[in-house]
Amino acid sequence: MAESSEPPILEDYLLAEDAPLLEEMAEEDEEIDLYNEMTFGLDRDSVDEEVAKALAPPDKGPELSPVGKNEVAAVEEEKEKEEDKATEQQGQEAEEEQPVVEEMEEAGEDGKAGPGAEHDDYADMEEDVGTEEEEDEEEEEEEEEEEEEEEEVVEEEEEEEEEEEELHDEDSEEQNDLGDPAVMRAVHSKPPLESLDSAVLDSRLGSTWGEFEGDDVMAADSGAWPPSPSSILSHRMLERGYLGSPGLKRPDFRMMSPKSFPQRFMRQQSPMMPCSMGPPRPFTPPGRAPPLFTPKQSPGYVSPTPFRPMSRNISTPTQPLAMRFGPTSPSLEPSLFFSPSASCPLKFSVPSHMTQLHPQHQRILTQQQQRGQAQSVSPKKPWSPKADPYAGLMTCKEKDWVIKVQMMQLQSENPHLDDYYYQAFYHKLERKQAEEELLGGRNKQEPPKLVTPYIQKMEIYDSVVRIAGSLGQVAVSTCYSPRRAIDAVHHALQEEAAGNQRLRALHRIEKMFLQLLEVEETQRKMSLLPEEQHPRFRDKKSHEVGRIYQALKIRACDSEEEAEDEFLQILCVRKGKKLTARLLPHLTREQAEEILVTITHHLPFLMRKDTLDESLPVLYGPLSEMVGRMTFSKLIEVLQELTRPLAGSTDLPLTMTFKNQFGISLLYALLSHGERLLSSDAPLEPHSGDFEKWTDTVFLVAKELSQVPKTALVEPLVLPSNLLSLFCRYLDKQTIHRLEAKMECCPLPSEAAMPC
Amino acid sequence: VCPAGADLISLPEKHLVLLRDGRTLIGYLRSIDQFANLVLHQTVERIHVGKKYGDIPRGIFVVRGENVVLLGEIDLEKESDTPLQQVSIEEILEEQRVEQQAKQESEKLKVQALKERGLSIPRADTLDEY
Repeated sequence: MAESSEPPILEDYLLAEDAPLLEEMAEEDEEIDLYNEMTFGLDRDSVDEEVAKALAPPDKGPELSPVGKNEVAAVEEEKEKEEDKATEQQGQEAEEEQPVVEEMEEAGEDGKAGPGAEHDDYADMEEDVGTEEEEDEEEEEEEEEEEEEEEEVVEEEEEEEEEEEELHDEDSEEQNDLGDPAVMRAVHSKPPLESLDSAVLDSRLGSTWGEFEGDDVMAADSGAWPPSPSSILSHRMLERGYLGSPGLKRPDFRMMSPKSFPQRFMRQQSPMMPCSMGPPRPFTPPGRAPPLFTPKQSPGYVSPTPFRPMSRNISTPTQPLAMRFGPTSPSLEPSLFFSPSASCPLKFSVPSHMTQLHPQHQRILTQQQQRGQAQSVSPKKPWSPKADPYAGLMTCKEKDWVIKVQMMQLQSENPHLDDYYYQAFYHKLERKQAEEELLGGRNKQEPPKLVTPYIQKMEIYDSVVRIAGSLGQVAVSTCYSPRRAIDAVHHALQEEAAGNQRLRALHRIEKMFLQLLEVEETQRKMSLLPEEQHPRFRDKKSHEVGRIYQALKIRACDSEEEAEDEFLQILCVRKGKKLTARLLPHLTREQAEEILVTITHHLPFLMRKDTLDESLPVLYGPLSEMVGRMTFSKLIEVLQELTRPLAGSTDLPLTMTFKNQFGISLLYALLSHGERLLSSDAPLEPHSGDFEKWTDTVFLVAKELSQVPKTALVEPLVLPSNLLSLFCRYLDKQTIHRLEAKMECCPLPSEAAMPC
Repeated sequence: VCPAGADLISLPEKHLVLLRDGRTLIGYLRSIDQFANLVLHQTVERIHVGKKYGDIPRGIFVVRGENVVLLGEIDLEKESDTPLQQVSIEEILEEQRVEQQAKQESEKLKVQALKERGLSIPRADTLDEY
């Protein structure tokens, strides 16, 4: 069979050395326009012009298979019809001739009965121009149908002749678009595997066969091509391409056998073939079953390749659903693909996709636009705007389209997570502007609060497809989402019992961190929502926080083996410290104070463990904030921890803190807070003995400080300014001077003012 | 990416492209597609070494999108406002060569030192191709 002969590899077409170049050039234009049409939408005034261009014969190479040739010829002939009525009949003949030719080929091997009959019919319908030649050629073909090469030659001649007639028409149109760098070649390929191999599932060709009978696309007249982009989409948007050419006429179908239908189908697709702008995949010959749905990231436009089914985004309500893998409902309207901003004027009318930007961002962009237009031409520019011939290479539509595609990729359910930096930047900008406005009293109105810049809900792509009654997963889905198929979820139970302590601690930290992240997420969401919903979030948050706190397993301070204490183990790890630091702001006061007491109680231990890491300072920030809110009594309690001698020695934790940056900073913070409390007028409500303990502590600190050599003293993270005043209360001048020198505080304003 | 798309018509804007191999291209962006494939016109490759830079005119570039790291507009007013000093091509290439050499030597020393300690760190450039 002619069709079953092994078709040449696609690359051969591309390597065609002496394909009639003129024809190719002429055909290019049509393809470009076709491609542009389908991608960007109708933007030309003269549809006829387009139609004419589009109907030019596609590329032909000398090595085309007979099948391909037939398709080519058929396409071209179908398109001819559209050009003008004069050639219509000829085209019709040509079309009818084609099936005849095909059938002759088929029949060639079988016998000559068929062709004979067809031939007679054909003869009846003869017209003037070129018919006789064609007839002759037919006869030739009849004789030589066994020999493929000769057939090819003949067909080529025949096509050439037809082309010549049209060539002069196309020449004039050539010049307009040759410069378009976006040209892609029309390349032929074989009919899709599905059409030939009945074993392949859902060869939609067969299923839609019946549709064609009642297809009003076929009845389209010359001026209405394409009827409208959206109607094409909604009509016969088969998964594998579409009938761009309305050249199909009913008689053809009647004459054609279903078997040749796929080939005809292919003919229509061939001019569309180069328009594959899907994810860059090699153009492999269909020796494999093509997938039946495109991957998630295929942009939402009409992808007319025969091998790659249409993007799932296209809605085809009228399609028979033989079997649909993957998601069924589109997330985009067809009209989205063709958003004709008919004129792209210099004034930048914000297209729809732009409205998804942050309002501040939009404002900046439009400002730039206006500025750019208002500006006079900068003298440095080599181009003058009028003379720049390359300025319009990309039309507005194309630009919008690219932007739209990229904006679509930005859609997400959770922009705060997925697009964190963008959101954070513009929030910061907003806040800065708000501050400025407060200070400077700017007139500009603040941008409205950004609620949902992006699409709220995304289509959830259920990539694991289960077909009822099947065994296991379908291969198709796993081919597109292999990870999902592998399902790398760690189901193994964590071995809590075995394994060393450190691993366990790390594991706990990870779990708690995840919880903490959720808490912070809740917090963030809460801050964005209106006030009414806050309580609900707050409850949820506090519940979660409580859980984490429980998980920390903070035990009452006792001199138990420190290595055993789980909370301390967590604190020994850098990440554990970070976790605690991040958690502290969310905790209740009691809980936070509990943590502080624990930390100070075990401070020497922690400091010792931290010598390598030096990550304790991360705790300083939240702790100092917390300290600033403590009551006097609690402060005293904490300080007691530091001044209690360590078990088994006379060393004070206090002395050890001097050598550690975090320790000394914490100490200073505590003292500073105490001083602040004392010097303020707020009622302290001290417990009995608090003041004594306080003064004792201060004296002790002073003593230790003066004894410690300066070199051993570590610079604290923050040096509170009221420490000296604190010491002033209780100590003599000399000591103060010494301390001052040691601590390198800024000296007090005037010595006379000192109370001591 | 090109929200200032209108400017491609009115005033051609210079764009700066950083490529994955570290090259910096400056030119007029004429076309772009959804993969960030770029067509740059009157492109100039700018080599920076220290405070100096040199421009090599390259003509028309068609860049495949996957090699683009970032793309940005150049504010034509601020373009000349740079503390960097422009030098001739030969000079900048020489500077670059010297810099490369120095880097390679220090890298060699590092690798040697690590080898002596029994460690080996794979080179960053080979890592890129995962």
